[in-house]
Amino acid sequence: MTDEEDGIAARLRNVVFSYDRDETLPDPETLGTTDVDPDDREGPVLRGVDLDVPAGSFTVVMGASGGGKSTLLRTLNAIIPDFITGSFDGDVDVLERDVTATRVSEMATDVGMLLQDYESQLFGTSVAAEVAFGPENLAVPPTAIGDRIDDTLRLAGLESLDRRREPSGLSGGQKQRLVFAGVAAMHPRLLVLDEPTSDLDPSGTRELLSAIGSLAGANLDRSPGASETAVAAEADWDGPETIVMVTHKIEEALLADHAVLLQGGTVYREGPAREVFTDVESLRASRVAIPPLVEAFDRLGVPNEGLPLVPEEVPAAADEHGLRWTPPGRVDTEQSESGSPGAPADTGTDLGDPVFELEDVVYEYDTDRGPVRAVDGISLTVREGEVLALVGHNGSGKTTLAKHLNGLHEPDAGSVRYDGREVADYSMSGIGRDVGYVFQNPDHQIFADTVREEVAFGPENFGLEGEELDRRVREALETVELDGLEDADPFAFSKGQRQRVALAGILATDPEVIVFDEPTTGLDATQQERFMQLVATLNREESVTVVMVTHSMDTVARYAPRTAVLKNGQVVFDGSTRELFADADLLADNDLQPPHVVEASHELAAAAGMDDALPALSIDELVAGLGAEADMGPEADMGPEADVGSGADADSERDTDLGADADPGADADMDVDDAEVDR
Amino acid sequence: MSATSLYVDRGTWIHRLDARSTLAFVLAIFVSGYIFDDPRFAAVPLVVAFVSLLAVGGWPNFKRLSPIVAALFVVGLIVWPLFTGPGGPTVIDVGPLVLSERELLFALGRSERIAVFIVGGLLFVTTTSNEEIVSGMRQIGIPFAFCFAVGTALRLFPTFIDAAGTVKQAQEARGLDLSDGNLIERLRSFVPLLVPVFMTAFRNVNTQSMALEARGFDTRRDRTFYGASSMGGVDWVVTVASLVVIVGVVGLRLAGYGTL
Repeated sequence: MTDEEDGIAARLRNVVFSYDRDETLPDPETLGTTDVDPDDREGPVLRGVDLDVPAGSFTVVMGASGGGKSTLLRTLNAIIPDFITGSFDGDVDVLERDVTATRVSEMATDVGMLLQDYESQLFGTSVAAEVAFGPENLAVPPTAIGDRIDDTLRLAGLESLDRRREPSGLSGGQKQRLVFAGVAAMHPRLLVLDEPTSDLDPSGTRELLSAIGSLAGANLDRSPGASETAVAAEADWDGPETIVMVTHKIEEALLADHAVLLQGGTVYREGPAREVFTDVESLRASRVAIPPLVEAFDRLGVPNEGLPLVPEEVPAAADEHGLRWTPPGRVDTEQSESGSPGAPADTGTDLGDPVFELEDVVYEYDTDRGPVRAVDGISLTVREGEVLALVGHNGSGKTTLAKHLNGLHEPDAGSVRYDGREVADYSMSGIGRDVGYVFQNPDHQIFADTVREEVAFGPENFGLEGEELDRRVREALETVELDGLEDADPFAFSKGQRQRVALAGILATDPEVIVFDEPTTGLDATQQERFMQLVATLNREESVTVVMVTHSMDTVARYAPRTAVLKNGQVVFDGSTRELFADADLLADNDLQPPHVVEASHELAAAAGMDDALPALSIDELVAGLGAEADMGPEADMGPEADVGSGADADSERDTDLGADADPGADADMDVDDAEVDR
Repeated sequence: MSATSLYVDRGTWIHRLDARSTLAFVLAIFVSGYIFDDPRFAAVPLVVAFVSLLAVGGWPNFKRLSPIVAALFVVGLIVWPLFTGPGGPTVIDVGPLVLSERELLFALGRSERIAVFIVGGLLFVTTTSNEEIVSGMRQIGIPFAFCFAVGTALRLFPTFIDAAGTVKQAQEARGLDLSDGNLIERLRSFVPLLVPVFMTAFRNVNTQSMALEARGFDTRRDRTFYGASSMGGVDWVVTVASLVVIVGVVGLRLAGYGTL
């Protein structure tokens, strides 16, 4: 049994688990850790987990996709082995209870769980009913439920919502906070969060994290830098004693005070969050994304204990190790057409004639409450070989606009021309052949029994057959690195692989333009990296024009030299991504949270009194800017770690070279106002 | 655009009724619509249901289903006469469609019967939220597991329609053409639509049942109902009146009224 006197909220011993039933589980001693691609690994997911979650901690669990993070969380409230039986061995004690002998619904009195997919967790048809659902199940008296609804909605920052409102009409961020309120209303002692922000846009993420932060602030040992505002929800409950969270976003992981790295189904490293997240070797070995600033300073030769975790710590760390900041643009960097250095990934450099010309495009949706204008007079030109990011809030009109590019939507007013001709004048297959559209969720299109059949679907519809079809399919699968798996069942693939199958299905039609709608949602850091590398290669080597709708500011920073910011159906910024990230007010107005690397370069510039300097957009640029005058340590020349799944990418070599050769100050000072953006 | 349920949040007197009374009211409409063959009798509950539906703000809901209702009457004119014999003078003689008075009335009556169920059902879900339906069913003694299943099905239906819309766009972008070819080819072209819709639904159901248990859902345990309403004066009046109507129409039918 767990001893709370020991200060342990959850204790796992020798936990081995496989999703296959009736599997003979090997002794954990003999399993060892295998460092193979989790997509290919067979056998148990958990392979002998020994773990103590300290009571009163905010513990974050990280690890590569398929490493068993979510599976581990499911043992904390008996989903494993009560609900998902599988094959289970070992001991799990949570809050003085033997989990292996307890039902999920019994654990629910003490353990609350929030999952990634909020749509599947909404059960009520009104805000009040949603929050009441959990307490009702625990047979809380109706009069007390009313109080809990008020308290937890306030906690989640939703007190202004009409209690009778339908959850389906809320934004993603509001929905997830509503589920969060519903879980909190059950007054759990242990709160389990499984990638709670993965499906949210940046503002939704920020809202949820602030709710979690205020809950954590109520009575957990606080991590430095997190919100100190304690919210006492109710006299008899003042927040969970302990929080356990799985995430693959490093910025979120830094909210925690205790960290666990899982690798191949076992605990590879655990300890205080700061120690774990600056332990570069352990992070690499467990294939966890290294915090970008940690990686940058590690490559600059700074020892582990001096590595900065958050942007605010960067100027002091640079100062201490004698590193001086030279912003990009002063370093010898290739200039894009706008006058500022291009994208770190070197995409969108070779521009041809306009492929898309949008003029005063207006689009309205019919709703029960009357028409809603989703696109309100947008004019844009996209040129051949360009990489354009469309960013903005949920509901800003990004996706609606993108769907005009391949004729899924036709404008109510204005015109959308592809190759000089109205998109509406093309047949659906005529435009579809040239303009591929990769939807956010590959599961909305995968239907075939084999990968080959799935990939061939598009080109077949467009009239290809025989040898030509076979060749296209083969080449597309080679491009997405799924060759050899032609006869595999795509439904059995990981999410990352399914997204690549969907991309192959588009590539096989040999498109001139690919439109991506949130291509990396739900992928872990390694999978995202791999996917975006593919997109960059297509653009550089085959001049494929790319338009991507995305919330990932890191993706925008590194891969899109040009960004259009949408707000209420209008374009409020259209220009160089680097200049966007230099404009703090514009970013704040549109709820765009720049990546740590960008913020760090602002901190550095401010400390050096260079207020109008352009920011670095990638780890390599940050290293180059800091290393320009510094004595580069041996790490700086090491180049990318192929297996790291972090900021290191195929472009690092070029950029690192660039940094080493840099001649600071030789280049003309960049003046943002003079930059000419060719529109 | 996000899917919404059919419930329309208004404060009309039917909305304010306890779910059990609304159920009795709708049941009275169903019974009186079902029991008569004569369309002139069945028209009464149909009109009552339709006017009530308009009064509670249910027009958008009806509009969505109106093509089905229209098809019901048109197809009914052709199909229903096959189930009865000719009688009385010929009233319709348009091309191949020749109907006697008896056949026409029979067809109209049967179509009205189904329309009453559609409109009455819409009236119920327009005025009664999922929670009210579930707790109301529970209060008349139906096992909670069943009540919850009904509530979930009602809630999931719009989500399902939404997902189908996304899948359709995704496949059309890949060149799927649903209007091409003969019947077999057209049926085959639905495979790329149906498989993703159902696979997505299955994946969701799995997550959903896990999330349900994690929220303490357990049919083997007592639970409370927040905001469960109790029967007030108006509720009893409506319920009793509905029961009287039910008994009344059964009596009329037994006395030979409303038959053809």
